[in-house]
Amino acid sequence: MALTLAQRFSLKRFTRGEPAYLREIELNHRRIFILPNKAGLSLAIVILLMLIASINYNNSLGFVFTFLLAAAAQTSTFYAYKNLSGLLISPTKSKPCFANDQLEINLYVIEPNQRARWQITASHQGQQQTFNLLANNQTILPLPIKANHRGWYKPKTITFSTSFPFGLFKAWSPLLFDHAILVYPQAIDRGLNYQLDSKDQINGGILSVASGTDDFAGLKPYQTGQSYRHINWKAFAAEKGIYSNEFSAEQSADIYLDWLSCADLDPESKISQLCYWVLSCEKKGLSYGLRLPGVELTPNNGNAHQAHCLKQLALYEY
Amino acid sequence: MSTKTAPIQNSLIKLLLLIACLLIIPHSTHLKPLFIGLAFALLIWRSLSLVWTWLTPSKWVLLPLALGLGFIVLNNFGMSFGRDASSSLLIILMGLKLLESRNQRDAQAVIYLYFFVLITPFLFDQRIELALYGLMIFFALLFALIINNSNVESLKNPALLRICGAVLLQAIPLMLVFFLLFPRMIGPLWSMPDEQSAVSGLSDEINPGAVSNLALSNETAFRVRFNSNAPLHKDLYWRGPVFWETDGKKWFLTPPKKESFQRAIKWSEKSDDFQYTLMMEPHKQFWLYALDSPSHAPNNAHLSHDRQLMLKAKLNRNLSFELRSSTSTALLQLSKEDKVRGLKIPENTHPKVFKLVQQWTDSAKNTKDIINKALSYYHREFYYTLTPPSLGEDPIAEFLFETKRGFCGHFATSFATLMRVAGIPARLVGGYQGGVYNKLGDFYTIRQADAHVWVEVWLTKEGWVRIDPTAAIAPNRIEHSVDASQQRLNGDINFLINPPEGFNKLAQQLNWLIHSVDYYWQNAVLAYGPEKQLEFLSNFGIMNWADMLLSLAAFSAIVLLLSISILFYLQRHAPDPVQAAYLKLCKRLGKKAGKRENFETSSDYFSRIGKDYPEKNHELKALNELYLKCRYGRKPTQAYIRAATNFRL
Repeated sequence: MALTLAQRFSLKRFTRGEPAYLREIELNHRRIFILPNKAGLSLAIVILLMLIASINYNNSLGFVFTFLLAAAAQTSTFYAYKNLSGLLISPTKSKPCFANDQLEINLYVIEPNQRARWQITASHQGQQQTFNLLANNQTILPLPIKANHRGWYKPKTITFSTSFPFGLFKAWSPLLFDHAILVYPQAIDRGLNYQLDSKDQINGGILSVASGTDDFAGLKPYQTGQSYRHINWKAFAAEKGIYSNEFSAEQSADIYLDWLSCADLDPESKISQLCYWVLSCEKKGLSYGLRLPGVELTPNNGNAHQAHCLKQLALYEY
Repeated sequence: MSTKTAPIQNSLIKLLLLIACLLIIPHSTHLKPLFIGLAFALLIWRSLSLVWTWLTPSKWVLLPLALGLGFIVLNNFGMSFGRDASSSLLIILMGLKLLESRNQRDAQAVIYLYFFVLITPFLFDQRIELALYGLMIFFALLFALIINNSNVESLKNPALLRICGAVLLQAIPLMLVFFLLFPRMIGPLWSMPDEQSAVSGLSDEINPGAVSNLALSNETAFRVRFNSNAPLHKDLYWRGPVFWETDGKKWFLTPPKKESFQRAIKWSEKSDDFQYTLMMEPHKQFWLYALDSPSHAPNNAHLSHDRQLMLKAKLNRNLSFELRSSTSTALLQLSKEDKVRGLKIPENTHPKVFKLVQQWTDSAKNTKDIINKALSYYHREFYYTLTPPSLGEDPIAEFLFETKRGFCGHFATSFATLMRVAGIPARLVGGYQGGVYNKLGDFYTIRQADAHVWVEVWLTKEGWVRIDPTAAIAPNRIEHSVDASQQRLNGDINFLINPPEGFNKLAQQLNWLIHSVDYYWQNAVLAYGPEKQLEFLSNFGIMNWADMLLSLAAFSAIVLLLSISILFYLQRHAPDPVQAAYLKLCKRLGKKAGKRENFETSSDYFSRIGKDYPEKNHELKALNELYLKCRYGRKPTQAYIRAATNFRL
């Protein structure tokens, strides 16, 4: 996509990067900027001193080496640029994370140009990762950041920079990706109980959890997809085949984790409570459903179901 | 995490220690041994602390140490801070900074300091070999910088070395553009203390034995290239300071006054004038040498009435001059003042001298006759030697009547005295005679060994005439140059007479070559100052600073673009390493199993070979599969390259 003239000269391009519209970005001359850093400025002072000494003594060789140093510094800008240019960078899947937890933005960096890359630093909101990359190689860079809120987390500008080769110039490339990472709500137990029977919800009463939740009710042939926690290992060890335990509570009622069950709480706390329930039900291997205003997920269990529930909670807007 | 505070790798410290030693070595000939010793001691301390870490000094040791060493430097040089003092201070500072260095930022500062120290030896000596030595250190410093900024542990890193080499190669053209076009100004920006280091050459006092110490020196005084015909070797008199005043022992130089410059007459250009370029080595004096006698003064010098060329400032750098000389002396009136000066006889002149001159004047018909009689007296009774017996209180009389052996200084001083006693105005001229011709470079090198003193006398009809009493005694001295390389104290004088043969001829030609390189080095690099820059650039229509800066910007941009585009070009044409290995393999297989046709894919080709070499069929198939996976898949490229190079039919 070509930039408009206004975009091209916008200062934001140098600090924040071009507007995000890509999943994969190739670092090229349009995105790489270069300026002397502190060490480079101090070298400029040294060069100035050398120049003054050469002028003072009318020393031709002094001039030669002063200019050679300046020329080498100037040439190094090109190598700093080369060190960044051509890299292909794309965000990849991150581990799901909960609000107030550490989130890892994973960046997939590919070197396609048969050039070894040295001392490149990727930084995001003060977090830095420095890496070297061999020619024709690739790596995944995790950039940790604290996730404050549930919902989609959009990484801010991720800056790739390098002072290679001489540490005199900093070449940098600010990148914005069209990428978002899902942050689940924080799981907080407010001490409430979820209700067992979906039909009782109208009464608004909070029923106590049936004591028979974990009561053993018999064996059923195992079906793929069922939680492995329910496999009856004794039967399996006796080589009777794979059976799974049936619990009376599970049979007696499906659990609906209901928005209305936590009526007294403010909406964010409700979501946190529901999130906690989802996690604990999944852990216990129960089959659970989720009911939010406007959303209803039928009871089930397993990782996919849990992820589905958590996503609904993460993105729920009241 | 910050790389700035990462500790320096030991390997980098070793590299820095080595470079520091290399930086100190060229200073060892001209700085006081005390400072060289101190600098090395600090380096040794630092290297020992690599082995025994408890030796690493703390701030509380280093601070007093730095103050103490600074005091020693101050104590030695006082407040006059010239090149000796600053170089001494810098090499010590190098060791101190290295002792103090802990992290990457310190190392960066150390390397910057090294870059500065790198140019200090050139303040003392600018020979071409020293420049190459400097270039080598420069490369090592770039390598140290790159090591410091890439956090690698081992110095054996060809990739980084290659980058350094490429940077250096690209920097050189850019440096040349700057060297040519960066506006030069005439230094110094502020006055600096005179350095005490001795420069050989004539001084502003001449005593009879003055020149003999120079006869052993092969150092170059100046170089001359004739743009017209060159005069004969015996006419190569390079005129320098003119001495009028004497006290009977020494002759003194009194600098010409303003009035003398006004009285000087410029000679107009004649067809048989000698035109030449003279490249002067810095001799820290005011006078300039020119072929006897200069017709006019160049821009930065004055011509005095006794035809000395006086520079407007002491010569502290290599400078070249365009000069014109004429052999014909114009007839002049001798001013009254000059006549008095030219006839002044020291009060303590020995009566025997008067007696000797009396014999000649009594029998002579004219002044010329007196001169000839004096010369034949020298010819009859005197010897030419570099090691004359030492003379006492009355050197002229002792030389004329007792020792009778000496060098040009003895002959000229005594002859001038004799002439004055005889009533002929005479003066002493210091300078050089002869020179070594370099066939390869077509120029003359005039060495300190060619230093010479002769006499000028006033003849009423001819003006000032050059008389060289040395020529009367040792014509070889005038027709050939002294061979300084063959010269030994207490030995016979050797002259460059016979053309060398065989191996010596080869040696001579090599010598010419070395001198020619040196000539161009001096002429093109060292003498490239403000004057030469303007002269050179005016050929291209660049007349002032504004033009220079403009073309500097333009040319450096062009050079940068060129070097960048060359690199891009090279990069674009670098084939995929897997493909390169594959093509190489095909070429090798082609010799045995038939060439790969252009239309054949790798699978086609390999299976064709597989039919001819059934025992290798399996291996070939595996190789082909590996090729496809590495080239088009995500398999690491090294696997194929290794397999392909190891494969044999």
